[in-house]
Amino acid sequence: MFLRDEEKAMLDGHQGHGVQKAMDLLVKLGECFGAERMVKVNWTHTILDGLPYDFFQAVTEGAKPGPRVTLHPGWQPEKWKEIGLTTGPRADIFIERHNQRLEIAKRLKWNITETCAEYLLGYIPKKGDVIAMTGTCMQVANNSLYGALVNRAGDLSTVASAVTGVTPYMGLMLPQNRYAHVLVKLEKGLDFNNWREMHYSCLGYFIGNQVLGYKNVVIDGLPRNLPFEYARAVVISHPVSGAVTLVHIVGVTPEAPTLEAVLSRKPEQTIVVGKRELKRTWEELNVHEGDVVEHVAIGCPHCSIEEIRHLGSLIKGRKLKASLAIGAGNEVVAKTREMGYTQPIEEAGGVFLNCCIGVGDPFISTYYAAEKAVKSSATNGARAAHYQARTMDVAVFLGTEEECIEAAVTGKWEGREPEW
Amino acid sequence: MVIKGHTVCQGKAEGEAIVYKGPFSFLGDLDPNTGKVPIPNHPLEGQSLVGKVCVFTTGHGSSGGPTYAWAAKRRGNIPAAMIFLEVEPIIATAVIAAEIPTIDKLERDPFEVIKNGDRVKVDATAGIVEVTKC
Repeated sequence: MFLRDEEKAMLDGHQGHGVQKAMDLLVKLGECFGAERMVKVNWTHTILDGLPYDFFQAVTEGAKPGPRVTLHPGWQPEKWKEIGLTTGPRADIFIERHNQRLEIAKRLKWNITETCAEYLLGYIPKKGDVIAMTGTCMQVANNSLYGALVNRAGDLSTVASAVTGVTPYMGLMLPQNRYAHVLVKLEKGLDFNNWREMHYSCLGYFIGNQVLGYKNVVIDGLPRNLPFEYARAVVISHPVSGAVTLVHIVGVTPEAPTLEAVLSRKPEQTIVVGKRELKRTWEELNVHEGDVVEHVAIGCPHCSIEEIRHLGSLIKGRKLKASLAIGAGNEVVAKTREMGYTQPIEEAGGVFLNCCIGVGDPFISTYYAAEKAVKSSATNGARAAHYQARTMDVAVFLGTEEECIEAAVTGKWEGREPEW
Repeated sequence: MVIKGHTVCQGKAEGEAIVYKGPFSFLGDLDPNTGKVPIPNHPLEGQSLVGKVCVFTTGHGSSGGPTYAWAAKRRGNIPAAMIFLEVEPIIATAVIAAEIPTIDKLERDPFEVIKNGDRVKVDATAGIVEVTKC
């Protein structure tokens, strides 16, 4: 692929071994997908915790501060210690590792945002901004809901973009690749009046699983006044079961005022979704026996102000039997605290966390909580349900936020089979 | 039988085929501590992918896949080689970072010509797959 002089200098090691390693990874990735050149990023969103430290240290060594970098949720070990989850020498190791990485991020002037919903903090891309981004929920949300140019990308390649300031010019960066390949039609009779985030997330999860690979989807037939949180629940569930990173919703997302605007030719695949498919999806995501719920996890991706307000109104005046973790960015929690929305939640025993609720809920993960880890968890979205069952060996209950909060109060699952 | 394909990550390896007509992620579909598939109620549940030549459709799921691939490699719990219908950028980054010889876009449908248990040689540098029936 063609490299500008400054990019070639990076690849040749003139900016140190770390930057060289980063550029080497990006060149190999670009060549695999036929990229002709690199493109400068307006912004990179990457991650600290969980990354192999040897890789992270090697790639950032000798790097200089570049274009804006924000950070995905990671560990929050001091908070985990404070609430008694990760204690003793184990906590100290996590705190030390986390702080090592924070030091590097601070040296490079990265913004320690630690959320998977930067747009809720005001980090909203302009249409056409080039962003290298970790977090498949961030990728698909920024692409679909804001019209930014974001490829599906792995965590290691976004660290590489953070230190080089470039990403391969390929895939969804190219205007001709932003049309829909797959048309999704919804059967008549779906009653959206009953639908919550859980319902919309199951729709996205089902579609993502039906589409083979890195293709774009257009969904026709959803309500045009879809609230932000519901539109988000649809799009962010696609890349969990699949690899879809651009979801157009006719009349809702900015590139799809009409179906014709995003379907330039006959679709490669047409998917029809009805009640039967959604029921099956919901059943597959419920992985449990019995009805005991020890823990409730909400906020995958991180909650909006409105979601926290709603949770507060559901909990008001009640006490919780199960533990309750709510994932949200620090700034969102600060605003909701100022508005008084968090008070009933915290009084009842709920905890706000800015770490990852889907893959890394510290109440569930034995890696973090050791023998204190819970064995059963309820959640309100397909994304968290999928990852909790697969990565943390826990019984999973999937229902609406109302059913989840009821379970948190009683310690039992009384959720019913959803109506679609 | 020799089949040509497109190089995703260079290198050579061979092993017994594990074929599953669905997508794969290093985060959630392979336990880096055991090399086994942890997915509840899945046809591959409990099977080890270590040293195997794995055939999947494409990648899916989390952007954390490359980090999990790196972790699995450190523990020696990775497939010998991988074959996909068509990769996407996260699975490509994962196999490049973990240096797993990988090929996609074979000239013949891998799900027709490769069956579970076949002996498969992958020369990803040359872009060639050689299948010996079991």
